[in-house]
Amino acid sequence: MNRKQTLETLIHDLKQDENIAHWHEIEPEPAKMREMPESLDHRIQSALRERGIEQLYTHQYDAYNEVQNGNSIVAVTPTASGKTLCYNLPVLQSIAEDENSRALYLFPTKALAQDQRSELTEIIDDMGIDIKSYTYDGDTSPNIRQVVRKAGHIVITNPDMLHSAILPHHTKWVSLFENLKYIVIDELHTYKGVFGSHVANVIRRLKRICNFYGSDPIFVCTSATIANPKDLAEQLTEKPMSLIENNGAPRGRKHFVFYNPPIVNQPLNIRKSATVEVNRIAKDFLKNKIQTIVFAKSRVRVEIILSHLQELVKKDIGPKSIRGYRGGYLPKQRREIERGLRSGDIMGVVSTNALELGVDIGQLQVCVMTGYPGSVASTWQQAGRAGRRQEESLIIMVAGSTPIDQYIVQHPEYFFERPPESARINPDNLVILVDHVKCAAYELPFKQNDRFGSMEIEDILEYLAEENLLHHKGDKYYWMNDSFPAHNISLRSASQENVVIIDQSNVADHIVIGEMDRFSAMTLLHDEAIYLHQGIQYQVEELDWDEKKAYVRQVDVEYFTDANLAVSLKVLEEDKLSEHDSTTVGFGDVTVNAMPTIFKKIKLSTFENIGSGPIHLPEEELHTTSTWVSLKEDKDQLGTKTMEQILSGISNVIKHVVPVLVMCDQNDVHVVPQIKATHNNLPTIFLYDRYPGGIGLSDELYKRFEELVTSAENLIRNCPCEDGCPACIGTEHEASNAKELSMRLLRRLMEER
Amino acid sequence: MSLKAKLNRMKKHINTDEKKEEVKAVEPTLTVPHLEKWTSLDSEPFFFDDEYAIVRKKTYPKDHQHGRYVFNELERVIQRWNNFHRAHPLSSKNLNPSDLLFFDTETTGLGGGVGNTIFLLGYCQYTNEGISMNQYFLPGPGREVPMYKAFLDDVQHLKNLVTYNGKAFDWPQVKTRHTLIREQVPKLPQFGHFDLLHGARRFWKNEMESVRLSNVEQQKLDFIRKEDTPGYLAPMLYFEFVKDPDPDLISSVMKHNEEDILSLITLYIHMSNLLLDNRGHHLSAMEQFQSARWWEAVGEDDHAASLYQLSIDGKYDRDAKKALAKIHKKQGDLAKSLPIWIELSEDTNDEESDIELAKYYEHKEKDYEQALHHALLGYQKWKSKKRILKDKAEAERIQYMKRIERLEQKEARRR
Repeated sequence: MNRKQTLETLIHDLKQDENIAHWHEIEPEPAKMREMPESLDHRIQSALRERGIEQLYTHQYDAYNEVQNGNSIVAVTPTASGKTLCYNLPVLQSIAEDENSRALYLFPTKALAQDQRSELTEIIDDMGIDIKSYTYDGDTSPNIRQVVRKAGHIVITNPDMLHSAILPHHTKWVSLFENLKYIVIDELHTYKGVFGSHVANVIRRLKRICNFYGSDPIFVCTSATIANPKDLAEQLTEKPMSLIENNGAPRGRKHFVFYNPPIVNQPLNIRKSATVEVNRIAKDFLKNKIQTIVFAKSRVRVEIILSHLQELVKKDIGPKSIRGYRGGYLPKQRREIERGLRSGDIMGVVSTNALELGVDIGQLQVCVMTGYPGSVASTWQQAGRAGRRQEESLIIMVAGSTPIDQYIVQHPEYFFERPPESARINPDNLVILVDHVKCAAYELPFKQNDRFGSMEIEDILEYLAEENLLHHKGDKYYWMNDSFPAHNISLRSASQENVVIIDQSNVADHIVIGEMDRFSAMTLLHDEAIYLHQGIQYQVEELDWDEKKAYVRQVDVEYFTDANLAVSLKVLEEDKLSEHDSTTVGFGDVTVNAMPTIFKKIKLSTFENIGSGPIHLPEEELHTTSTWVSLKEDKDQLGTKTMEQILSGISNVIKHVVPVLVMCDQNDVHVVPQIKATHNNLPTIFLYDRYPGGIGLSDELYKRFEELVTSAENLIRNCPCEDGCPACIGTEHEASNAKELSMRLLRRLMEER
Repeated sequence: MSLKAKLNRMKKHINTDEKKEEVKAVEPTLTVPHLEKWTSLDSEPFFFDDEYAIVRKKTYPKDHQHGRYVFNELERVIQRWNNFHRAHPLSSKNLNPSDLLFFDTETTGLGGGVGNTIFLLGYCQYTNEGISMNQYFLPGPGREVPMYKAFLDDVQHLKNLVTYNGKAFDWPQVKTRHTLIREQVPKLPQFGHFDLLHGARRFWKNEMESVRLSNVEQQKLDFIRKEDTPGYLAPMLYFEFVKDPDPDLISSVMKHNEEDILSLITLYIHMSNLLLDNRGHHLSAMEQFQSARWWEAVGEDDHAASLYQLSIDGKYDRDAKKALAKIHKKQGDLAKSLPIWIELSEDTNDEESDIELAKYYEHKEKDYEQALHHALLGYQKWKSKKRILKDKAEAERIQYMKRIERLEQKEARRR
């Protein structure tokens, strides 16, 4: 058998690879430590020493001090920098001082909550203080719920549970709310978009109830690196925040490499599959017993890569030392894998973004990403999984063939030089706000002139009274309806009447796997659509529009579906407008009337159109916010037909650029070209938020319009195709120089500003 | 902060002082809409803290007939509980008839949750003067303080709730709403609690489509309501009332609640009669068997055994015998269990008796041949039955196989 190669030699070899698009090195950093604060209870100190912690990192130390001084904080902490101590220290300290103190921990998912509980109990056991911590979620058995409510010092839950099970029953939680000192919000960066906007309102309700019981808790938040942690935390909690970002955790030298698979079909610009390349690259490391994590975008991909790798290296290290990790594994299995990774018994792990979040698996040596993870922030999160304190580590992003991936590998500066994305929420979205005002009124009556968080809501209260949900008497508004409002409101979506997705793969056991708002369902859940749920492909067998149910069955096909939506847009109100020589850029409220017409089947690997079919659904209406750009003059003499094609090509590119720019899902913003917009009769491109009322994405796009246009132009210029391909402006162009015309148009939009 | 904003914040404080003075002057003139109508409904307002609630009181004579029972039979039933030495969750031993609080509520919604408002609290008490029926009605949101104040003042000396599903619903909901105003009204007393729904389920769930109170009233208590407003309409009627406070809108709901709590008295009498009937003269076969099961479940094995005896040769013959054998076994009296098991093993396809016999012969008699015989016989009987749950069936099959295998080895070793 050959001698094992070291990571160093492998890195050296890799540098010679011609498919390396970019090589970036990050210098090592030593640890920055502080002595344990003297005020820290000696039992906590000794419990920490027990676990080998003699000193604190600077960010842990500062977090503790800030909170001790009574300030709410948000601590920005990279992966594996000991962030849990940022909140556990002050919380444990306060319970050690006064055993009546209570704390509420919020984690975005049930699984993370359970992970944290086991870590917390270990420390508590070492401390030798009787501190009771419990998870409270759908799995908590009824007989222990009583105990949790009355005697739990630390209650660990998720926002959905807080919304539908705790707040509407707050009278059962008197001892928690009366004594609530701290609210911990972990993984703050996950509270963005519609979900974040909902959670901000749940927190308004939470604060209202705390106020009723006379408590005023301090918020302790932790977040991965995003551009606006302080803003997000302040928007979410409506409390002034101190930002803790002096990360003191040490770091070894890191190599960050972009790898672009070779082109195998020049005219169509098709590259070798990223998955195949990932298998090959990961194998080299695993064979040499170098601990490696591979990220894949879906559960299916995880399983495919896993089986390949296990096969490839079974002679060298044995298949058991490579494991998969994704949602759907049992907690016990996951714990076992995490332990194996920490101890080094497990050499490799293939994971979905499940391991992006704060699960403790120690530090690995190599991280391989199958495709660009979709945002700068989550790329850094995944990259953070590699990097031991003293040693070198390597991160390889293997680009896929999508426009975003190709844009990133061709513009490494875009990735390395810009700050990660901002996470945005819009808690005052009217639809979301009204939903939570209802819930809040159910929980406690509103007084006239009461604010809801920072919002004045007199109009909403009057409206709800007119709708017979509230009763206005004296200076108060009382809930006066027989329903339980929280049950009809899901935090993960903005419109109430959702389509429920039912998997009927197992004839004897139909299960609900998800839900989707109506508007999206038209294009994603129509009959015969391929619906991807957590990476698994399903085909829609029937969409029952009246009953709002989509029946799906698991399939394994090589294509996805893309529905055409006949859209008409009406501008209701122009909030912002900037006029230029030959263009107008606007932002405001719009009504979107949409009717799906046909869908296309598009091959996954090549984006070829391989079939189509009609969709029969009624028209839908959506009120939302939009940014638009209109061309006042056809300076390039394109003519209507060419103009239409160019606009649609540009829209296609913008659609891909938007998620990269504003950190959202590709479906969150729709991009629609209109050759003659109804409000001004001009050729116009609309970019609108897909959620009723808007969630602030198009507003952001208005502000960053120039950046958006530049990125779009860059993407077209750097696409190696000859004159349009599915990865840029598409192929349906009659003009012979479509790429050039598109770029000229885009430049016009910029230069004139 | 600007001065204006500060002033705005202070405004509240300044105003409160003024208000208090004003309100004091206003109090006596606080008007109750439709007062005459309320009076004609045996009701009057109860004033407290500048607000009022409606209190309705009525007395029924002790010899009033309500369905098949006369109310004063309650005295005799409680006397019987007091004379009976065995413990039961429905036993009113050491209680007087007047200690009981037959209680029910009407709410604006279903299920628990802070926003589900109780707008009517009703209870009956057995007193020297007769049956006192008391209702506390919320004339509008925000008036819960006078409603709970009036109610709590009246019930402080009572000891035990009697409800229908009150353990899971009514009383927790009272606690919930009380928590919201806990600083302004007396504390909730610690009551004992008889929830008759549990008993109704035990006795009648197999014969009734639903054991809701109206069904039980009709089928067991011979009480037929005239012009009843079903409970599910109550929230709607109340919402109407809140907009237009005309007592006519709500009087039918109050009548409904009144009949509910009166029925609770006769239901308690009826259920006690079933439980205290030691000879089985007035019980259906099902009630007879279920009474024994209930006494067994609360740990009164001897008493349960004597009641099971009454079911033998009846419709529940086999079940009663099995239960009897089990009690004997639990009491260490295998000599009594054995003939029952043998009988069941020979006469029925009940495999459990064979398992019991297999255990008995294996562990007590060390007669592995007999034990194996019954293990195999039990397995045959088990196999002949259809099963719905696959997992459970597989687990059971493995159990059988293990037992048979073990017995075969023991048997072989002996030879």
